Amino acid sequence: MQAGPIQRIVIAGGGTAGWMAAALFAHMLKSPAAEIVLVESDEIGTIGVGEATVPLMTQFNGVLGIDERDFVAKTNGTFKLGIEFRDWGEVGNVHFNGFGDFGDAIQGISPHHHWLKLHQLGDPSPIEDWSMPYAAARRDRFVPPEAMHGEAAFYKYAYHFDAGLYARYLRGYAEAKGVQRREGRIADVKLDPETGHVAGLRMDDGGEVEGDFFIDCTGFVGLLIGKALGVGYTDWSHLLPCDRAVAVGCERGGAITPFTRSTARAAGWQWRIPLQHRTGNGHVYASAFISDDEAVATLIDNLDGAPLGEPRLLRFTTGHRAKFWDRNVVAIGLAAGFMEPLESTSIQLIQTGLARIFELLPDLSFDRVLIDEYNRVTTSEYEKIRDFLILHYCRSRRPEPMWAHCRDAEIPEPLAYKIAVWEAAGRVPLYSEESYQEASWVSIFLGNRVMPKRYDPIVDQLPLDHLRGGMAQRRAAIARAAETMPDHATFIRRACPAPVAA
Amino acid sequence: MNPARPIRSIVVAGGGSAGWMAAAALSVALHGTGCRIVLVESEEIGTVGVGEATIPPIQAFNQVLGIDEGEFVRATQGTFKLGIEFVDWFKQGHRYFHPFGRYGDDFGMTPFHQQWLRARAHGDRTPLGAYSLTEAAAFLNRFDRPPNDPRSVFATYSYAYHFDAGLYAAFLRKHAEARGVTRVEGKIAKVEQHGETGFVDALILENGTRVEGEFFLDCTGFRALLIGETLGVPYDDWSRWLPCNRAIAVPSERLDTLSPYTRSTAHAAGWQWRIPLQHRTGNGHVYCSSFMKDDAAEAILLGNLDSAQTGDPRRLRFTTGQRKQAWSHNVVTLGLASGFLEPLESTSLHLVQSGLTKLLSWFPDRDFDPAVRTEYNRQVAREYESIRDFLVLHYHATERDDSPFWRACRAMEIPDTLAAKMEMFRRSGRLLEREKDLFHEASWLAVMLGQGVRPERYDTLADSVLPNEAAAVLQGMRTVIGRTAQSMPGHAEFIDRHCRAVSKEPV
Repeated sequence: MQAGPIQRIVIAGGGTAGWMAAALFAHMLKSPAAEIVLVESDEIGTIGVGEATVPLMTQFNGVLGIDERDFVAKTNGTFKLGIEFRDWGEVGNVHFNGFGDFGDAIQGISPHHHWLKLHQLGDPSPIEDWSMPYAAARRDRFVPPEAMHGEAAFYKYAYHFDAGLYARYLRGYAEAKGVQRREGRIADVKLDPETGHVAGLRMDDGGEVEGDFFIDCTGFVGLLIGKALGVGYTDWSHLLPCDRAVAVGCERGGAITPFTRSTARAAGWQWRIPLQHRTGNGHVYASAFISDDEAVATLIDNLDGAPLGEPRLLRFTTGHRAKFWDRNVVAIGLAAGFMEPLESTSIQLIQTGLARIFELLPDLSFDRVLIDEYNRVTTSEYEKIRDFLILHYCRSRRPEPMWAHCRDAEIPEPLAYKIAVWEAAGRVPLYSEESYQEASWVSIFLGNRVMPKRYDPIVDQLPLDHLRGGMAQRRAAIARAAETMPDHATFIRRACPAPVAA
Repeated sequence: MNPARPIRSIVVAGGGSAGWMAAAALSVALHGTGCRIVLVESEEIGTVGVGEATIPPIQAFNQVLGIDEGEFVRATQGTFKLGIEFVDWFKQGHRYFHPFGRYGDDFGMTPFHQQWLRARAHGDRTPLGAYSLTEAAAFLNRFDRPPNDPRSVFATYSYAYHFDAGLYAAFLRKHAEARGVTRVEGKIAKVEQHGETGFVDALILENGTRVEGEFFLDCTGFRALLIGETLGVPYDDWSRWLPCNRAIAVPSERLDTLSPYTRSTAHAAGWQWRIPLQHRTGNGHVYCSSFMKDDAAEAILLGNLDSAQTGDPRRLRFTTGQRKQAWSHNVVTLGLASGFLEPLESTSLHLVQSGLTKLLSWFPDRDFDPAVRTEYNRQVAREYESIRDFLVLHYHATERDDSPFWRACRAMEIPDTLAAKMEMFRRSGRLLEREKDLFHEASWLAVMLGQGVRPERYDTLADSVLPNEAAAVLQGMRTVIGRTAQSMPGHAEFIDRHCRAVSKEPV
């Protein structure tokens, strides 16, 4: 029968994950029906490498009713139309995974097939010439799609922001909706001796925070899910060899690009995330192939401007909790798992994890079917992202030892299958829980010059001059539309400038 | 990358609904490529054609072919279908309806049915069907085409057709021939294969004609001449879950009241269909031979006709299951050659349609890359399994224990995928949707509830709407649905006005 609703929610840990959880819980379970407490300590730093996001984030803001311009201004934010990949595949190679596709279907078929035919006939234009977000991004222009018309409006966008400021922003939102913040360090986790459920958190100061339902946002340590409940970790290091990152901000130099840049290095890759007043940078690398000192030197040598502060070193193990949800604890954020920020999925995974909690919201009986389904779907989501990340590495032709290692390493069977089908027919078989749709896969395949053996035979129905003319027209229309957009920096200055230089 | 090596000739083996649907669809999709399409059939071989009832996606199929709805309904003695009434399935004397379309409209933070479950938990006895415009119209024997307005209550309404499958095949034949498909009359005597690859090279007809092709569609029905007899692709037998293996079909006179729905009535060892057409009524009894003799099954069928019998009963045998690979070598199978699922949810023609849609998106060239076949086969298998689970639900979730057949159905082990769906629904009122599910939330809801699977709880997020506000919204929906259904024309009246068949075919 109907058991009572969960009423006391305890979020362990602040940071991006904790405050996103607090904000969403406060919005969904309105006070006084539920009591929401977030426990965090000012002494514990947060990691916040996840400063770049994916378009799903606009939905999160939408659900919370957050004013986008206010949020961008207060987080030193900028807009993002995709990711530019440099030197992946081989040195000198540039490709773009944009938040959009390569145009409407022609003859019921995705236009990359038409591009493949032209390419085969010797046309040198890259597929990105048919990407609306890239047309804007390469010109450093930005405007939300609502301001555009027709096909030129078919793109999405996300944000770059300062994760620390974002957490602070959400804290304001959550506290205004009744979330209580409890300052202090968690000393110990108290378990119910009968059920094994977490009953409460014992604090350093001697206090205790009790609850029905606990969200573990304590980061890598996984204080509740790992330490207290003993849930293990599924290690994917053998599939994605990077295990460290060094991060540093630097002074702004050049345009505020409306995209994240990822540049491949000898033993990893470097990110560049433009904010309004500075640029975030990081070097993700495999410690088996490069020393920390060399990794720092590589990072410092490749900044737009003078570094701001000391580089921070992070160690991580790619993988995820064997169970994301166990008993009355759900792990969110780094406590749940880690995948390198190559496709900016950290905040996405926080968001989808939280949304899934509400799809499967338990009552006090914590029914096993809900928990099993949550874990099944979340695992599948992680695996699909993992495979997409591996694709960036596994077909590179770069000569360095780490890249050779990635080329030779075994890849998961579902990814091998996707590549085989792509190579056979230029199509990507997609399943449930795919974060990336066809156009993203096509971007990475073609960007790394993993070419299919053929294009769709239906393309040949179209006379060649029609095909050439139609494709040329589309490309010109995209370029023309991009030229009408304002400059990204200008748009920000008008719409959402950050109040003070951070 | 190699130059494309397009297929230049396709041979469809077998007419019937599957063969002509394939020929018609290919003739549209490959128009202008110069690809030659030949269909081989023999007038001596009858077609099975139990698939006289359909589901809404067939509208899209007809649209792609450029078929005018009125013309099509007229030419096939067609009627409209709003869903299926299930009689005596949960227990004797009980009935429920599986409507097309969906129930109510979401409000608050949860799906509509969670609000309904919550109202029930608080004593409201209104059945879920009161929130389906399609169901309301069906029981008033009314029908109308929905206006194209996403804000209207008609956005929740959907329909399909009943028709004479033989006339449908003839109708599609006209379309296909007009687009250049060549029909070759004759019985296939021999299938010629390539010595090394085993690919099918040609069909040799009894009169000696040789029909060559690069790509073959096996629409030869249960016989599966190419995929089974020639290529030896085995058949996956699903009798352990769906034990019915016989059917007897018989026509009867047109019903006095032309109901816009299919009726399915459970009997002691199977069930009986009733499909209203303009000129007659299609009837059939699907049963399991281990529990019932053929003569007894025929007597039950004839004893339960709603109108006078007008023809001789025809007996069919089948094995429920699926061809292990729908595509092998250069042969793709469609229709009964690819598998059989009893017509309980009218999926036969849909499986042909959906096989064609998939085939066109995974269309091969002359290299016939195995990775393309593998993915096609995976998708087809997934769809069959999803429908299988939905059918098994009808048999397994029942309170009937009045015959050995029903006791066996209740006791049988069901597929894990179905068990997970049932458990989730029973324990939390939520419906799991899996990749490529043909039937969506509303259909599963209708049958789960109809078959007595009752959720123990509802989603507590439904409580975010105040009870009196929720009650007012629910009441408002019922009022709009009732009023809208009452304002629709009668089904028979609608047909007479818009798409009455020109001549009643002699039976």
